[in-house]
Amino acid sequence: MSDELDPRSPRARLSHFFDDGTFTTITPEDDRGVLVAVGLAHGTPVVAFATDPTVQGGAMGNEGCRAIVTAYDRAFADSCAVVGLWHSGGARLREGVASLDGVGRVFAAMTRASGKVPQISVVLGPAAGGAAYGPALTDIVILGPAGRIFVTGPEVVRSVTGENVDMDTLGGPEPHGRRSGVVHITTESEQEALDQARGLVSLLGSQGSMDMAAIDDVDLGAFLPESSRRAYDVHPLVEGFVDAGSFMELHARWAPNIVVGLGRLGGRTVGIVANNPLRLGGCLDSASAEKAARFVRMCDAFSVPLVVLVDVPGYLPGLGQEWEGVVRRGAKLLHAFAECVVPRVTVVTRKAYGGAYVAMNSASLGATRVYAWPTSEVAVMGSVAAVRILHRRRLAEIPEESREQVELELAAEHEVISGGIARAVEMGVVDQVVDPTRTRTAVAEVIWNTPGVRGQHGNIPL
Amino acid sequence: MDYSIRAEMVASVHSVVVDAGAAVMVGDTLMILESMKMEIPVLSEFAGTVREISVVPGDVVQEGDILAILVRG
Repeated sequence: MSDELDPRSPRARLSHFFDDGTFTTITPEDDRGVLVAVGLAHGTPVVAFATDPTVQGGAMGNEGCRAIVTAYDRAFADSCAVVGLWHSGGARLREGVASLDGVGRVFAAMTRASGKVPQISVVLGPAAGGAAYGPALTDIVILGPAGRIFVTGPEVVRSVTGENVDMDTLGGPEPHGRRSGVVHITTESEQEALDQARGLVSLLGSQGSMDMAAIDDVDLGAFLPESSRRAYDVHPLVEGFVDAGSFMELHARWAPNIVVGLGRLGGRTVGIVANNPLRLGGCLDSASAEKAARFVRMCDAFSVPLVVLVDVPGYLPGLGQEWEGVVRRGAKLLHAFAECVVPRVTVVTRKAYGGAYVAMNSASLGATRVYAWPTSEVAVMGSVAAVRILHRRRLAEIPEESREQVELELAAEHEVISGGIARAVEMGVVDQVVDPTRTRTAVAEVIWNTPGVRGQHGNIPL
Repeated sequence: MDYSIRAEMVASVHSVVVDAGAAVMVGDTLMILESMKMEIPVLSEFAGTVREISVVPGDVVQEGDILAILVRG
């Protein structure tokens, strides 16, 4: 071997992934197209493999696929995360069906490991065909700047459909980061992609124990705008809730009306789900429900407690939503929360209306605890909307110029009768009203006091 | 390069904050829409100049309608 390593070679990439000097290869370093190693990432044991683009464009042959299965066997035995570094044109053509058989065995190994050990994929070059579905079966997919994921490449697309597209348009950061939801994280550099994977290995593999003394309370209410009607970006609130600088967002640009990601609270890994009113008013829709459902199931499988920050006006109405399956895809979120056994704490910060209230980890779906801020509202719908329905006939008789005033009066009356947040506490749908300045501690106490368990299920890529 | 800012959802235009010709930074509010009984700011995704504001307060916009055209950089 020469001293000058090709930067795309498995050894070079693995050395940039693991902590310095900690990795040992466990498969032969030859022309099989895959290299497997064990080592540490931020001190956490991890198995990683890399496909070899310097041999037949990284194509996967039977032997290379067996090496990936070896990586999975080892991760299983060590109960640690497995990270794949992908740069591969797919199955090796010259091996014929034998390579397809190998690729299928990789898929089977990934599915067996699903929900048992964390699986992270880092796509650093083209990943086509079987090399596209490999990452897609794993829990989290990171795309480097040169990463491209597609089932069939530009030439096949051109010959079959006549469409002229390049690899970037077909499967680069823009389509997969924003449109398809295939990719969870996109990065500006290859090293950043590897560093993000290292961070995730640490968050999922070394979850830590909660140090209550380390939790200092801040006034999270300061992250809300003064007007209750004004939409706002929820990111500062999420970042203020978790330990400073610890939040790693997943699927940031896909379905941005809900924010999901991992962070730490008092040093312990937690998963955050938060409505983002800045986008689509924070409504739930088919894509955001699916995004959150997959995240909730991943956290449940890996015993990561969940914190759900709720400010949701409802489901997004419309023909498009109904036709793209908001009922079927929305049901995934109901299913995910209802089946979830890890501690899961809801905080209603401003409002929780209607069906979306139920879906956002309500008490009825089995939330460990539901907190609400003093000024928040839990209702079937906003009070003005409610009186428009309840008093439709009466309002229709009122001249238009004074109608709004009457609506507001009726709404105020309705709020008194329906009882606001105090009534929600009385009914048990909210366990306790908590001040924004005490929210971090209150949530941490619940997680601290709830036994750590994990859901016994895989993490199908919903 | 011209870049169209489009409505994400059905909404009415509540107010327009910047005028054509204005220079904007990332995160600046261009206008405020009203939907789901909320006032939702439309923010600039990059720094540039406003070439055109395509709506006036009170307009009802559908998902995908152009709200404004920006010139990047």
